[in-house]
Amino acid sequence: MLKKKTQTKESLNTKLLINLDILKERFSFGLNNDFSIRLITAKFNKHELCLAYYASLVNSDKIEQTIIQPLLEQGGDSLFDVVTAESITKIKELEELDDHINNGKVVLIIDGESFGHSIDVAQFQHRDISQSENESVVRGPKESFTESLHVNISLIRKQIRNRELITEVQKVGKRSKQDVQLMYLNSIVNDQLLDEIRSKLTQLDVDNVQNIELLEQFIEERPYSIFPTILYTERPDNAATYIDKGHVVLLMDSSAACLILPITFWAFIHNAEDRYARFLYGNFTRLIRFIALFFTSMISALYVALSNFHSEMIPPDLLFAVTAARERVPFPLIIEVLIMEIAFELIREAGIRIPNPLGPTIGIVGALILGQAAVEANIISPIIVIVSALSGLTSFAISDPSFNFTVRITRFIFIISAGFFGMFSLMIAFTLWFMYGASLKSFGVPYFAPLSPTYKSNSDTYFRKAIKKEKWRPGYLLPKDLQSSRTFERGKTK
Amino acid sequence: MKVDRRLTSFEMFTLTSILIGIKLTDTTPSLFSQKAQNAFWYIPLLAFICILPAFLVLLYLLYKHNAKHFVHLFELLLGQGLGKSLAFIIFILSFVMIALDSRNYVEQIKIIYFQRSSILIIFALFGGVCIFGAIRGIEVVGYTTRIFWPFIRISFFILAALIFESVVWQRIFPIFGAGVPVILEEGVSKGSLFLDFFLLTMAFSAFRKPSQFIKGGLIGLIFSIAEITFFFFLYTTVFDYNSIEKISFPFHEVTQYVNLGDFFTNIETFFMVFWLLATFLRFILLLYLITWLFGAIFNIDEFELLLLPMGFFLMVIGLLPDNAVVTELIYRNKLLNIITPVIALVPFLLLLIHFFKRKKDLT
Repeated sequence: MLKKKTQTKESLNTKLLINLDILKERFSFGLNNDFSIRLITAKFNKHELCLAYYASLVNSDKIEQTIIQPLLEQGGDSLFDVVTAESITKIKELEELDDHINNGKVVLIIDGESFGHSIDVAQFQHRDISQSENESVVRGPKESFTESLHVNISLIRKQIRNRELITEVQKVGKRSKQDVQLMYLNSIVNDQLLDEIRSKLTQLDVDNVQNIELLEQFIEERPYSIFPTILYTERPDNAATYIDKGHVVLLMDSSAACLILPITFWAFIHNAEDRYARFLYGNFTRLIRFIALFFTSMISALYVALSNFHSEMIPPDLLFAVTAARERVPFPLIIEVLIMEIAFELIREAGIRIPNPLGPTIGIVGALILGQAAVEANIISPIIVIVSALSGLTSFAISDPSFNFTVRITRFIFIISAGFFGMFSLMIAFTLWFMYGASLKSFGVPYFAPLSPTYKSNSDTYFRKAIKKEKWRPGYLLPKDLQSSRTFERGKTK
Repeated sequence: MKVDRRLTSFEMFTLTSILIGIKLTDTTPSLFSQKAQNAFWYIPLLAFICILPAFLVLLYLLYKHNAKHFVHLFELLLGQGLGKSLAFIIFILSFVMIALDSRNYVEQIKIIYFQRSSILIIFALFGGVCIFGAIRGIEVVGYTTRIFWPFIRISFFILAALIFESVVWQRIFPIFGAGVPVILEEGVSKGSLFLDFFLLTMAFSAFRKPSQFIKGGLIGLIFSIAEITFFFFLYTTVFDYNSIEKISFPFHEVTQYVNLGDFFTNIETFFMVFWLLATFLRFILLLYLITWLFGAIFNIDEFELLLLPMGFFLMVIGLLPDNAVVTELIYRNKLLNIITPVIALVPFLLLLIHFFKRKKDLT
């Protein structure tokens, strides 16, 4: 700790030669191939000066046009009259110097001055803005985040033109200092919540947090929980909607997504399109999605429970069909279901990892071998193919990648528990699973709010209200301004 | 962030409804019909009318004294020694009651769905879900109940709608069944049916405002009693009075009786799912409350650690009776008769002391 303190006090020298030595040592000049130092004699004061930067992080055209050329050719009273780049900041300490150079700035040190100037010419390479792939919509904006902080912030600012939209920066990581941007509406967000997030970020004692995906695991409260408690989205419009409600959005360089917190269970089921589609259409989609959630987590378990323990519930004709199909299969029913479910998961995982040109082949191989051939070889019965195909396909309706895993793991828990005592043990597993979920908190917010416990809000849970009736921000976020719309007050229209 | 996570009146309403209303599914109707015959359907209503003043007094006193729970109230009014002893008596009575009740529900699961399974294993699983559910705390139990409540009620409503065609409403006659004195006696002595609500006042401080507890609780009581009476009425009119006393579990009998069109003829498992949910929630809540009561009597702050031993002892006591008939007709019947005067009279005793104390304070 003491050493650190003395280190931060180290600052630049008045002699350029000494400063050059410091720079060369700190950045391993010579060994480090892309670290560049350029020496120039400035025309305006005839002093020698040096420029230090990482060649891979800066825009070289910009250096040439706005720094080197003016310095060599133009006269003037001070540096600020000569250099045409848009932002120049003074830096004194070596720690600052490291930071600025690492963030793609050019540091300019003039002989005879005990401070440097940092000029922003950063150009981090990144992908272009592309369509959202994991959360695609039919109706609504199609663009998604990309791996650049600046671009991502501009995508959000485009949708909230408000001077109260703050982009606050927090540094994380002890060795590699990365910027985490907190975005929120200053006049709405709860201060206590902000403090909590800030302290979580500052308390992180790790060397490097590369991206938002890792940050999520560092700041979540229960790392072993089956339920996610932070929303991960790649849609800027989604982020903007949540910021408007009083949530906080976290962004980082090199992540094509953002984190939204705190969050409730419902956010994982809802989709941005539910609000873009008209009232009835949006709610119809929600209904379909809830049915999909039920099917994907329950249908295989229900099949095990009903046909093993409660076969009287299956109508006789159907029961005969099921029994006839199972007649030649040697395995117990639960093993059969597990074989098929695991096979489906295997195809799914392989499908993600497989090189693109091979993609279509795996589908054919999977369908052919696991479906047709397994049935013909009497390893599984055709009914199981239907059941597991249904449960596998419906899982794609849960678009959130984290919650998708929750549902898929849950499915196996339910199948195995249904194998013990049928409906009885299935309901035990379900009750405990659900109560575990209900006991979770995301930054102090109960997981099933606002359904229970209730708070003043738009009660956007199973279904949403008409947009005109949405008057409140969620009360469980304790926003500074609870009311979000005053146009359609009861009895009068402004 | 400090979000208020305490419960509200709707949760109280659903908790009461689960605790009391679910009694329509157990052996209570066949217990009543033993004496009252086809007039059993309004006995819960009579019992409720008899016990309501006591509850109102209890709620009034809790509110007036700003008590945390009823043990706290007992201590405030009766002093520590006497208050705690009285609470301990109530604890013993309700402990045995819950044990018998849970045996009753486990018997239902066994007899109707798992005839060949061992009662011990079913009971152990049942105890397991109660313990691990209760360990999440009263608030989570409240949230869960609130979320499942609509589904449970819808399933009951569907059942009522499906059975309606088999109703022969003339079967309620003779309206006084086995005679007015018998009915009255049964009604008065079975006030203990609502013992669970008495226990629920342990959670008085878990709500955002005391008034929410009172509001939710009273509406919940009225709703549950209406529901119980309605379903008992259905049982009377669907089964005639001769068969009703021989049917142990009329609710399940009804679920096996109904069919949904010509294709789905056996849909009892559908109703069983929701019934199981309600049953789990009820016993999770009861286990939590009884442990809380124990903790309050013996000044144990971290009483949640006692849930495991408490659940285990409940199971052991529940396993003692030989079979369902003995449990129901002998032990439970007697116990119900014993508990009634306790929970009906204690609040009035407290009220007397309350006025006496106030007078003393004034002078």
